[in-house]
Amino acid sequence: MPSLKDIKNQINSVGSTKKITSAMKMVAASKLRRSQEKAEAARPYSSRLEEMLVSLASSAASGEGIIKLLTGTGNDKNYVVIPVSADRGLCGGFNSSINRETFKLVKSLEDEGKKVQLMPVGKKSRDFFNRVMKDQILESFVDLNVSQAGYDSALQVSNKLQELYFEEKFDKCILVYNKFKSVISQEVTQQQLIPLDVSNSSKEENSEDSAAKAIYDYEPDEETILKDLLPKNVSIQIFKVLLESDAGEHGARMAAMDNATRNAGEMIDSLTLKYNRTRQAFITKELIEIISGAESV
Amino acid sequence: MTTISFDLVSPENLIFNDDVGMIIVPGKDGDLGVLPGHSKVMSSLRPGRVMVYGEDKNLLKAFFVSGGFVEVNPEKCIVLAESVDEINTLEKSTIEKEIQELESKDTDESKDKLFIAQKKIEALNSSFY
Repeated sequence: MPSLKDIKNQINSVGSTKKITSAMKMVAASKLRRSQEKAEAARPYSSRLEEMLVSLASSAASGEGIIKLLTGTGNDKNYVVIPVSADRGLCGGFNSSINRETFKLVKSLEDEGKKVQLMPVGKKSRDFFNRVMKDQILESFVDLNVSQAGYDSALQVSNKLQELYFEEKFDKCILVYNKFKSVISQEVTQQQLIPLDVSNSSKEENSEDSAAKAIYDYEPDEETILKDLLPKNVSIQIFKVLLESDAGEHGARMAAMDNATRNAGEMIDSLTLKYNRTRQAFITKELIEIISGAESV
Repeated sequence: MTTISFDLVSPENLIFNDDVGMIIVPGKDGDLGVLPGHSKVMSSLRPGRVMVYGEDKNLLKAFFVSGGFVEVNPEKCIVLAESVDEINTLEKSTIEKEIQELESKDTDESKDKLFIAQKKIEALNSSFY
């Protein structure tokens, strides 16, 4: 039977863990609000850019140079997969689900005979893929800290990516990230970044009124604008994904810490019960000893 | 219709959103003056000044953008800019210091930054409108 002091210690240590987890939950909640605001603020830009791109995409013939971001290299052999995870742990299944999904994707692409390379973003996925497929890592980005560094952090990734693309190091690029569905749920999502996939959105656009779109004057001309637009679009897509993953991370951490706080509370309750019972048992035992001592006199 | 709705958007946030009298944006092929009822235009931008005027043509705000795009239709003008600074927050001395630092480097990135910094100085010095 554990002594009273042991139980007391245990209660104290669980109590301080609870304090930490509830503090972490609060921090995550306030960070979540901030990164949600950031994600919200970035939305007008990216949606405008996408609209412009869709209305221009039709004018792109199969081309050389930058247009290849839209039309592809014509090959389908080399892939780059970018898993976007968090830099820090203690956020439930947030990181492991990204790693698992990426791992599955890589395996299935390899089964189809493609060559796959990785560009992990975030410490947790870098560490994971350093262990399991070290020789396939092209480049890794850690401590991007998108909520503070802002757009520049996305530029780092995007510039590197485009540099490699124009050196024809790969044909297709796929992002794997946690899409922010709600505060408590994130959804692992795959998005093809290069070549750009406009087919879905352009259909919607056509059904609206393509006549109204057509009247635009372009200055200097469609192709030049497109050449400016495409690289920016890659950056902004990455930026959007980074922001969303950041918000998702805080959401996941908040949920995980909420659970941990609740579990700690339950544990304290049951320990307190045990403590009281044990104390009562000691008292009863002492009483019996006194009474039986008195009787024998 | 005497006003046109004007949005200035950067990747990080919406910087300006209001009805104004006139906007001048630095189009790739030359500055564009946008008045209410302007025909539909889409253009890319060069680094330069975006000037926002009120209904009676008084200068409301002046921004420096490092490039981007503009979309104009009769009711609305939207500028998507990479990075935006309000002109009166720019300090000549700090930009000049930046230029000196950048001149000592010789990478593609520093050259781009240098070009933009030089344009900033130009924008500060110019007094056409």
